[in-house]
Amino acid sequence: MDRRDIHVLAAGTVLPGPPVDNAELTRRFSMPPVWEEWIDTFVGTRSRHLATDLETGQVRWSLADMGEAAASRALQAAGLGAGDIDLMVASTASPDLLMPATVNVVADRIGVDGVPTYQLQSGCCGALQALELARTMLLSGGRRTALVVGAESCAKHLDLTVDVAKLPTSEQINGVLFGDGAGAVVLGTDPVPGTPVLRGVTQRLVGLGREPGQLVEWFGRADRHTDRQAVREEYKAIEESVPPMACEVLDELLDELDWKETDVDFLLPPQLGGRMTERIVGGLDLPGATEVSVVADIGNTGNAAPWFQLEQALPRMREGDRAVGIAVESSKWIKAGFALEVC
Amino acid sequence: MTTLDEFLDFVSQELGLNVTTDDADRHVDELPGWDSMFLLTLVTALEQQAGRRILLADALQASTLRDVHELAVDA
Repeated sequence: MDRRDIHVLAAGTVLPGPPVDNAELTRRFSMPPVWEEWIDTFVGTRSRHLATDLETGQVRWSLADMGEAAASRALQAAGLGAGDIDLMVASTASPDLLMPATVNVVADRIGVDGVPTYQLQSGCCGALQALELARTMLLSGGRRTALVVGAESCAKHLDLTVDVAKLPTSEQINGVLFGDGAGAVVLGTDPVPGTPVLRGVTQRLVGLGREPGQLVEWFGRADRHTDRQAVREEYKAIEESVPPMACEVLDELLDELDWKETDVDFLLPPQLGGRMTERIVGGLDLPGATEVSVVADIGNTGNAAPWFQLEQALPRMREGDRAVGIAVESSKWIKAGFALEVC
Repeated sequence: MTTLDEFLDFVSQELGLNVTTDDADRHVDELPGWDSMFLLTLVTALEQQAGRRILLADALQASTLRDVHELAVDA
């Protein structure tokens, strides 16, 4: 065993509240039945979980609440405690506050202190950016165990008083695509039998000269009453660009590792929406791989999504199995992937 | 909103798409900026105005704005 191997020891996740299906979402926003049919037909996401109680408007889970629960579950699954953690990296596009960073609130809640902590401001590639940062820090020596957390909450953007029909389509689409949740993984330098080794992580910006595909504003005292649209998704650019970018990530990972397409046993594809993920998987053309997707049931959970997929994949991976995970971020266009192998 | 021209004015207002009589028989996919979300917005607005349901399945069969207009009138 290569002593520089980084092992994925365990994953843990949490979803806030009960699933909200398309019928309930449609009813709550007083939209006509055709809206529900459209989500079923074109988005293909059946349900999602929300930190906000749709009946009362009360936010029942903060991002830190979800991060704490996921981190605790991952640590428990790894059989480790807060004192074993040598560094923490979190990623999110929806922090509770700009300061303090949610990673440090979560660290405090679970009893982690006196170690380096980082929080990445990121979209759908954030989980893999966090993974790469944690892996690099573990490889640099002196640290044995890292906790990586990804979490997302739509609560700030879920205005239950708004007439959704009057919103621009680029904002409406966000309301049906995304879901809330958190996931965490524990990485370690010590070999643990049966745990997969992180064979590679790749992530890079490819947005030179390109308009952003996903925008999320933030407001302070001086501009809090601005008319600027809080969230905007250029879904046509995303539909066009994400499938080929996912193929590029797969090709690059396989080349780098000298793996063949037939070597991949598990595929963790980008989790945009049920239909989009189906299209992406079709284009990746890995018929021998078992797809691990969660998006149709829990929506696009952004920075948490890969950890939900990994939590499902880990117990299914046997000795010799290989898995590839892919994420594409349309904000300023980032593509990322990672590869695991059980030795 | 019974005439085709009135319907096209409605489409222009509701969707912000600048469509004229010449566009009525073009396939909707050829309309600049058209996508499935526009169809959703249009059907939602038409239902509101007609006070009756229009099935998405029927709307998806409509390949031109003239077809959609006929759906709206029938409704």
